[in-house]
Amino acid sequence: RVSSDGKPPKFQPPPKPVIIDRKTQKEEMRFLSPEFIPPRGRTTPLKYYIERKDMIQRRKVFNIPEFYVGDVLAVTTANPYASDKSSRFVGICIQRGGKGLGATFVLRNVIEDQGVEICYELYSPRIQAIEVLKLEKRLDENLMYLRDALPEYSTFDVNMKPVPRMDHEEVPVNKVQVRMKPKPWSKRWERPKYNIKGIKFELPEHKMQAAQKWSQPWLEFDMLREYDTSKIEEKIRKELSEELEK
Amino acid sequence: MRLSVAAAISHGRVYRRFGLSPRSRLDLLRNLVTALVRHERIETPWARADEMRGYAERLIDYAKRGDKDERAMRMADFWLTEKDLIHKLFKVLAPRFQPHPGSYTRMLQIPNRDGLDRAKMAVIELKGNPLPPLVRPRRDSDKTLLNQLLKGYRQDAQRAAAS
Repeated sequence: RVSSDGKPPKFQPPPKPVIIDRKTQKEEMRFLSPEFIPPRGRTTPLKYYIERKDMIQRRKVFNIPEFYVGDVLAVTTANPYASDKSSRFVGICIQRGGKGLGATFVLRNVIEDQGVEICYELYSPRIQAIEVLKLEKRLDENLMYLRDALPEYSTFDVNMKPVPRMDHEEVPVNKVQVRMKPKPWSKRWERPKYNIKGIKFELPEHKMQAAQKWSQPWLEFDMLREYDTSKIEEKIRKELSEELEK
Repeated sequence: MRLSVAAAISHGRVYRRFGLSPRSRLDLLRNLVTALVRHERIETPWARADEMRGYAERLIDYAKRGDKDERAMRMADFWLTEKDLIHKLFKVLAPRFQPHPGSYTRMLQIPNRDGLDRAKMAVIELKGNPLPPLVRPRRDSDKTLLNQLLKGYRQDAQRAAAS
């Protein structure tokens, strides 16, 4: 470095590192599994309370990791007919359904050119391990359209290594636009009722506009259909954190 | 040919069917909500008033968020067909109901309609409206037991004070 007046430049200490303590921030925004949120209905809250207690009991014994629709999981279940009594399946989670103890998730993979989907129950005692190989979200909550997409989007290596990720990072959103096989599809995914953002529609413009005929623009203004879960979620989060710390 | 068993059974369905289609049902309820906001007390068939009550209360909850809120303004714009009522909703009704946590309307049944259909009618009004009250609270008559005992007590007290 050239000094202005011949003397050696003054020693500038390096800037102090800024430590952003993400752990304390992340405590509040912890993930709440969707099967804890009770559906809207006329059932007594006692039923959901008892179910939640059983779910927490199972979670204390067996670790169910945080996962979303669109990430790759490996599930080992107990199988009495296998040689070492357990079977492992790797696949992308396309749907998470059900509430309470019957909560399920569907894993899809293409094995030797045959698409295979297996629906597992989260709280079934037959499940021995659930590992998240790649944690990511997609643009939609329901990836059933992968059945009509090209098989390359549903194939995942069975011996895939888990992708390492830091605990405090945000869950990445994979904005991939999936290319589809030619029509006919199992459902008419271009219709607005499915509201799919993750497909690259290569249909002609008049077909896309004809599909908009089935749109129901008044549904967004129908106020009684909205289900505000923020207060319920807070209560359940508090309950969960209390129970799991015991 | 019955197309689907699910369409014929209506267990647990909460929304009544009005008009020609779901769009027309919302339009009907929208007209009623506009009339309620304008006149603050309306007479309609009971089923329509019951259905409309939920929407009116949710609209006031949205209005309580304030008119700076984008979503609240869009909702008010859809639900109130007469645009001068949007101002009334945000500036008059929202402050009036700010202290209350819920239940901003009162619905009472009235005698059946005079026409040929003899429909079950109801009157629905926003609480705190400037019109004369619907229900006049009647005082108990003087001949009830409690009132007679109180009257006797008052007379005894007067006699004791006089002597």
